Amino acid sequence: DIEDVGHKYYLELELEDVLDKGRTVNCTAEVLYHLGSKSTAPDVQLTVQGELRGTEEADQEFYNRIRSLEKELVAENIPDSHGNVPLELEPIHLLAWAASGYVIWQNSTENTEFHLAQVKHVKQVKRSDEDLQFDYVLLLHEMVSQEVIPWEVTVLWHPQHPARVSWDRRQLGHTLG
Amino acid sequence: DQVLHIVPETFQQVQHLQLLCSTLMLDLWKPLLPENIGAGEDLHIRVPAPLVQEVKDSLDQHMISYRVLIPDVQKLVDQSMPRERSSHRQISGGYVYTEYHPMEEIYQWMTQIQKDNSELVTQHFLGKTFENRAMYYLQISQPSNKPKKIIWMDCGIHAREWISPAFCQWFVKEILQNYKSDPKIRRFLQNLDLYVLPVLNIDGYIYSWEEDRLWRKNRSPYENGTCYGTDLNRNFNSSWGSVGVSFNCSSDVFCGSGPESEPETRAVAQFIKSKRSDILCYLTIHSYGQLILTPYGSTTRPPSNSEELMQVAKEAAAALTGKYGTSYRVGSTALILYNNSGSSRDWVHTIGIPLSYTFELRDTGAHGFILPANQIQPTCEETM
Repeated sequence: DIEDVGHKYYLELELEDVLDKGRTVNCTAEVLYHLGSKSTAPDVQLTVQGELRGTEEADQEFYNRIRSLEKELVAENIPDSHGNVPLELEPIHLLAWAASGYVIWQNSTENTEFHLAQVKHVKQVKRSDEDLQFDYVLLLHEMVSQEVIPWEVTVLWHPQHPARVSWDRRQLGHTLG
Repeated sequence: DQVLHIVPETFQQVQHLQLLCSTLMLDLWKPLLPENIGAGEDLHIRVPAPLVQEVKDSLDQHMISYRVLIPDVQKLVDQSMPRERSSHRQISGGYVYTEYHPMEEIYQWMTQIQKDNSELVTQHFLGKTFENRAMYYLQISQPSNKPKKIIWMDCGIHAREWISPAFCQWFVKEILQNYKSDPKIRRFLQNLDLYVLPVLNIDGYIYSWEEDRLWRKNRSPYENGTCYGTDLNRNFNSSWGSVGVSFNCSSDVFCGSGPESEPETRAVAQFIKSKRSDILCYLTIHSYGQLILTPYGSTTRPPSNSEELMQVAKEAAAALTGKYGTSYRVGSTALILYNNSGSSRDWVHTIGIPLSYTFELRDTGAHGFILPANQIQPTCEETM
């Protein structure tokens, strides 16, 4: 408890590589939730103790594959109702997961717990520069309210740069009736 | 196993690669034979996992550059397999328990299960849903002249939690398949009857198959048909409407127009009330979260038998973890999850049923409600 400022948490985390189970990396983090303010994201400091797996080859391949598509990529419901993700859409799913992490961070308080429930829709937008752009509609599940919230997120990515959310907005209206 | 892509530049490199392939007997994908390896031409080799490091070291030593074309061959194989329609151990007269089934098939399954196990199983009508569908539960009961206590389990109160009905079906199958060979199950059934309701929120479940995979509530209309659905697990008569709910129909935790306002809730409540002196244990299955929750959600004041409740739950969690290492947390809803009122688990306890639990099955958020079908078996096995 930090008077007049907020609540600070000290965390020791173990990250597991989703694509290489058994491979873990330890991290420490400090998270500060600001008092009162609902519109400021919590401050996060993260230290990764160790190395993350290199993914240059796979990154380059994905990049080349998408760049060489004649029509822009469009997809829906990732995963499908049964939990399946087609092989070629896995990187799209992973990118959505990373983007959802950013949106969740920006909208978290001590009384929320968000998870990415599903990618409702994704559309590639061709760009004149080197980046790949994907416009997503993500469905975020919030545990306390049990709501599933559609969120529009634009993600930019390039093999040599980390993924960036360039724009995001909570979608107005309801997820279906 | 990995597949490497190499373009040898010099004749020396070609020779070294040919030697490597024949000595280690590597699987050449392109070209077919080592003698066809040529400078400036694509070479694809599959390297068995235990040799990957050795091969890469050798390539590095000889300054031969390579690219990993496929980082995990097995994964690719698994993903490109058509969804298996049958997995031997799971077939019980052809029904595949490792897949999710639509309501039509679950109705048929219930009829079939009763037919195939008529000495133990009877199907009973419980009531009707809002959209007029029949709700059935299965009674698994060993014939005997002594009265028996009851364990009740319901699944699928929330439409999107597909792993829950899948578990109820699995549970029934396991009990019936192993009844003859497992003395534990026989002893169990000597003294207890099992009542299983595979899908409580049938309308919602169907809606999650046909319209909206992430639907949670039932399908009763409010506000002149402009808004649908009550959260059935906020609709029971336990501190109804007090906390953790919304009075707005558009919320996913809308508690209805009053306690037991929904036909599905009434059907279950009526039945449980009528049998309340015989019911020993009430289980309601949900996902996700990996939790075993005890009463109450509306207050942190512990129930009168909280020690016993916790002890049984802890033993259950330990047994569960013992199977595949999946960890479950145990405790009162208000303390470890969130405040809520009107839950079936709480109501059942307030009318005198001593052991009342909510199970939140796998996982903890990575897949959430959309748990892949390949996790049905391990989830059900550990929960069993």
